[in-house]
Amino acid sequence: MGAKAAAPGDEGEPQGWQTDRSKAPVATKIVVAGGFGVGKTTFVGSVSEITPLRTEAVMTVASEGLDDLVAIPEKATTTVAMDFGRITLDAELVLYLFGTPGQKRFWFMWDDLVRGAIGAVVMADTRRLTECFPALDYFESCGLPYIVAVNHFEGTARYAPEDVREALSLPSYVAVVDIDARRRESVVDALLTLVRQALDAAPA
Amino acid sequence: MTLTHPLPLRVPDRAAVGRRPARVRPYSLTGGRHRFGHVLRVETFVAALDDPGEWPEPVTGGLAALLMPEVRAIIGLCRRLRSVAEVSALLKMPLGVVRVLLGDLADQGRIRVYGIGYGGCRPDRALLERVLSGLSRL
Amino acid sequence: MRRILIVGAGQSGLQLALGLQSKGYDVTLMSHRTADETRSGRVMSTQVMFATALDHERDLKLNFWENRAPRIEGLGVSVAGPAREPGGYHRTVDWAGSLDGYAQSVDQRVKMAGWMDVFAERGGRLVIHGAAVSDLDFLSRRYELVLVAAGKGELASMFGRDAARSPYAAPQRSLAVAYVHGLGPRHEHPEYDAMRCNLVPGAGELFVMPTLTTSGHADILFWEGIPGGPIDVFQDVRDPGEHLVRTLELLERFTPWEYARATKVELTDANATLVGRYTPTVRHPVGRLPSGGAVLGVGDVVVANDPVTGQGANLAAKCAASYLEAIVARGGAPFDTAWMQATFERFWATARPATKWTNAMLAPPPPHVLNLVGAAGRLQPVADRIANGFDDPADFEHFFFDSAKADAYVRDAGEAEGDLEEGEVTEGTGDAD
Repeated sequence: MGAKAAAPGDEGEPQGWQTDRSKAPVATKIVVAGGFGVGKTTFVGSVSEITPLRTEAVMTVASEGLDDLVAIPEKATTTVAMDFGRITLDAELVLYLFGTPGQKRFWFMWDDLVRGAIGAVVMADTRRLTECFPALDYFESCGLPYIVAVNHFEGTARYAPEDVREALSLPSYVAVVDIDARRRESVVDALLTLVRQALDAAPA
Repeated sequence: MTLTHPLPLRVPDRAAVGRRPARVRPYSLTGGRHRFGHVLRVETFVAALDDPGEWPEPVTGGLAALLMPEVRAIIGLCRRLRSVAEVSALLKMPLGVVRVLLGDLADQGRIRVYGIGYGGCRPDRALLERVLSGLSRL
Repeated sequence: MRRILIVGAGQSGLQLALGLQSKGYDVTLMSHRTADETRSGRVMSTQVMFATALDHERDLKLNFWENRAPRIEGLGVSVAGPAREPGGYHRTVDWAGSLDGYAQSVDQRVKMAGWMDVFAERGGRLVIHGAAVSDLDFLSRRYELVLVAAGKGELASMFGRDAARSPYAAPQRSLAVAYVHGLGPRHEHPEYDAMRCNLVPGAGELFVMPTLTTSGHADILFWEGIPGGPIDVFQDVRDPGEHLVRTLELLERFTPWEYARATKVELTDANATLVGRYTPTVRHPVGRLPSGGAVLGVGDVVVANDPVTGQGANLAAKCAASYLEAIVARGGAPFDTAWMQATFERFWATARPATKWTNAMLAPPPPHVLNLVGAAGRLQPVADRIANGFDDPADFEHFFFDSAKADAYVRDAGEAEGDLEEGEVTEGTGDAD
């Protein structure tokens, strides 16, 4: 690797478990969903042991409903990115964090991510709260545990978590936390809150 | 704490709250027996099983396909344990393509697909406890 | 062994995958859901399949549920009309035609999940992934043929709308499906199972269809409401219980003869309801990928009709059978775009009459059609012929669309049956209540 700066795809020194191919750690994951620019990648990067990696999917532009297709020219495509990070919790347990776009039209990517996930952190920006509605609907519909993390941006009004809960019509068992996605402790706290909530919901 | 603007209100999908997938499985043809094929979730670990240099010369179409550059790249990357998503991101290959190629490679015995480490479709309590204590140590 | 990729694990995708597999092709099937997820998920459709479509499944020995699914021996039609008391409806037309071969409906949650398991069990490669354009762009170079059978998903928009074959630019019905247990026996003909089309002029249609579902025998109550009309009331309904309540309210109001059977029904499961609307659309069958590769659309990717005539699953099965034949007949020659276009056009010969008839049924019926439907109540052969048209819509060309042909057919049928007056009293105008 030499002196090259950390570029996307440069994952640094391998973890011990990566070089022993006789067995693999348990892999588990948490989904981080939210609107564009809400801080998903910052959130993932704050705790990831690797520079967040990105997978991209080229999609057709129209997919919200075929009704709108009439006006869409053929072959129009758009690229959707999914950023993810990794945390080695111990030699036999690895946690992945997958950031995923919040728009409803990416439901098929969510299906993929939700399969086997611990739960989801839905990131909300109070200036654009409606952008997290589809994610809430989706996670409720598939029964995935989720919390709402309000990412605080400097210079914006602060709302009490209870006001956010009320606006989002969240059930009482869904946690609402204020976070600063740039701070590792803040992100870890949010993850702990989610895992505790998932544990509460898990069958004994 | 000034409420400069009222927050927009969401009308939740009431039917969906708390719903869990049903576990009913009548009229299943193979229900209860083991699943076929490889489960390749984004977090599933894979690793190469042997060295590409040891491969025999291609004689069939299937094997020729295995020796294409993308496949060599996957085998090379999987000298270390990798998740499916890492293979896709590091090789800049679409996730679906990686799943197809890894499936091919697993069928051919070139790649090992590791189990997810727990039964069922959601992490169980024991695993959640481990994640909780792991995160607490960070 | 030719390598073929099929995207989409519905009726057409799975039928083709299993068919090609049985003929020795190397098939990879992409599905965005696992078999178990499909099985425990939401209902996807109504799917009464008539004799020809069922035969296609039998040909491939895929009729695993034939002995458990109810046999639909007939197809009835009722037309609602305002009753003497204001606000009520009764039947102005009520008849049942006999199907030459029985029809059957197997919940696609049962069938697709089962077929997916069988495909994998037989060594097929099943990839659980919701395919995007980028996946296909890459994979089209690795497969000799890529078939897109992912009905109404993201990929369907790769295929341009064929305006000349798509008369509608907006949804013509809002759809509301409920699978129920506990529907009482049909008193008109308790001795056999039938599907029933209840037409409510100016408002929409109610279809009642016996089916096999995940929990055994059930019935499907399926409302099709003209957008903005009194049956278009499901848009904001999220709760399955509320969905059933509205379904039954509409039954009581517009089709009281069906409501009488439905007072004790309950949903088969928590995922037994479905709401939607879509524009009937025929698309160009060859999709172009950014890199220039071509993919062939299958089933409702290319021909998506309104379900008002129940042709969706039937056309999907017919499409799969037609494509299978074309692929095998191609031998080792390349699956180029000319072949793709010709393969679709071959299927279109079957799909065109079904599409024409379905689109006609979405419009207000002209007098000669009303006359024909009315005559079926007096003349059993007319009822039988209309019923069997659901299996072979090409027959409608001979007596349905053209008013002169329709009138001549009714006249001839009447003469063949003998005295018209006598015939008129054999079928009543129904149980107005």
